[in-house]
Amino acid sequence: MQIDIHDNGAFGSALVHLDPTEEFVSEAGAMFRASDNVDIDVTTRSRSSGGIMSGIKRMIAGEHFFFSRYSVTDGQDAEIGLAPILQGQVALIECDGDARWVCAGGSYLGSAVELNIDTQFQGLRGMLSGESLSFLTVEGRGPLLVNAFGTITELEVQGGLTIDTGHVVAFEDSLDYSVGKAGGSWISSFLTSEGIVLHFSGYGRVYVQSHNPDEFGRTLGPLLPDRNS
Amino acid sequence: MKIDIAGNPDYGQLHVTLGPGERFIAEGGSMAWMDPGIQSKARLLGGFVSALIRKFTGGESLFVGEYSTDKGGKIAFSPAQPGSVLQRTLNGDSFMLTGGSFMACTPGVELSTKFGGGRALFSGEGLFLMECSGSGDLFFNAYGSIIEKEIDGSFIVDTSHVVAWEPSLSYSIQGMGGIKSTLLSGEGLVMKFSGAGTIYLQTRTMPGLASWLTPFSV
Repeated sequence: MQIDIHDNGAFGSALVHLDPTEEFVSEAGAMFRASDNVDIDVTTRSRSSGGIMSGIKRMIAGEHFFFSRYSVTDGQDAEIGLAPILQGQVALIECDGDARWVCAGGSYLGSAVELNIDTQFQGLRGMLSGESLSFLTVEGRGPLLVNAFGTITELEVQGGLTIDTGHVVAFEDSLDYSVGKAGGSWISSFLTSEGIVLHFSGYGRVYVQSHNPDEFGRTLGPLLPDRNS
Repeated sequence: MKIDIAGNPDYGQLHVTLGPGERFIAEGGSMAWMDPGIQSKARLLGGFVSALIRKFTGGESLFVGEYSTDKGGKIAFSPAQPGSVLQRTLNGDSFMLTGGSFMACTPGVELSTKFGGGRALFSGEGLFLMECSGSGDLFFNAYGSIIEKEIDGSFIVDTSHVVAWEPSLSYSIQGMGGIKSTLLSGEGLVMKFSGAGTIYLQTRTMPGLASWLTPFSV
C-alpha cells in the first residue's frame, strides 16, 4: 500500500494505492475518486469489533456513524482518493503497533483495515464544557490518515505541553493528559474565551492544527440567518 | 522575546518565545498551544464601559489575555479565521484597526477603542475601531490575504475589506451606486481615503462568505 498526499497546502487530499488483496477504511463520505475496480461497503466497524454501538459512540465523538470500507474486485491494483470537508492539510501517520494513537473529534480521515478503531470518552468534565471531548483510539500497525483545519504541525512533547482542545489533531497514547483550563482561574479562562485545554505530560508526539474549526464556526454562525426564519 | 509569523498567506499564526519575566498580550481565545508554566489572565481592553458596549455591538472580545512566565516558554496563537497575519512596529506613532482585526501585541502597545461615529455605523464593520499607539510590536489578522496599498491622494475601498490604515489618512463613508442599494442592502458602501499613507485590505470577507452560504441554510 502506498499513500500519496496531494496539494498539501490549503486543500490537501490523499491518494491511496491498493494492492489486490488490500483493504482500506475511511470516514463515510470522504471518497471523492476511485478506480472502477473498487467496491465500497458501508460498515459501523473498522475491523472485527464494534457494531451499532460503536457507530453511536463515534457520532458522539464528532465523527460519522458509518465507515466506508474499500476492497478490490478484480485482482488488479486500485486507487482511492480521499478528501476532508474543511480546508487544510492531510497528514499520514505510520502506526508502528507499539504506541496507540488518539484522534480528536473530526480529525480521522482513513486507515488501513488492519488498524482497530474505538471510541474513548473524556468524562463528564468534557461534556460540561460543551466541547466534543470524545476521541477515537487507533491501535495496530499500518497507515492512518488525519486531516486538519489549516496546517498540521508535529510537536514532540518532552515533559509538558498545553493545547487548546480545538487544535488537537492526534497524539500518541504514551502521553498522559488531563482536561483543564488555559491558565489562571476559571473566571479568567472564561473571560478571555479560552476554552478547555488539554495538559499533556510525558513523552510522545502530538499533531496540532493551526486553526480551530469550532472557533471559525462560532465566528461565521452569527452572520448566518436564523435557521427557523 | 522572539516572535515568528508562520503559515502566511493561508494559515497565518504567531509563534512567540517568551523569556523569563516577559509578557505578551493576545486576543481572547486565540491561544492554540503553549509550554507549561505560562500563566494567562484576563485583562479588560480599554475602559469598562467602552469594552461592554463593544462586546454587545459585535466588535472585539471584551477581554484580552495577558500571558506571562517566570521561566520562559513558547506559545502559539491563531486567529479564528484562516488568512494572513501581519506585524507593525510602533515607535510612538499610532495605527488604526477595524473591529476584529486585532490579534496581539507586546506590552508597550496601548490599545484604545474609538467609537467610529456615524461613519462607522454605516460601514458594516462594527461600530468600533481600535487605535493602537505607544511603542512595541502589533499583530493583526485578516480573512484571506492582506494587500498593502500606499495611497497618495485619494482611494476608494469597499468597507468590508478594510483591515487597517495609518492615521495620516482621513476617510469618509460614501455610497457607490444608487441610494437604493446603499440604504437597503448595505452594499455599495465604500470608504474614501484621502491623504498620504498606507492601508491594508483583506482579499475575502466573513460577511461575504456568510451571505453566500445563507441560501444553503435549511
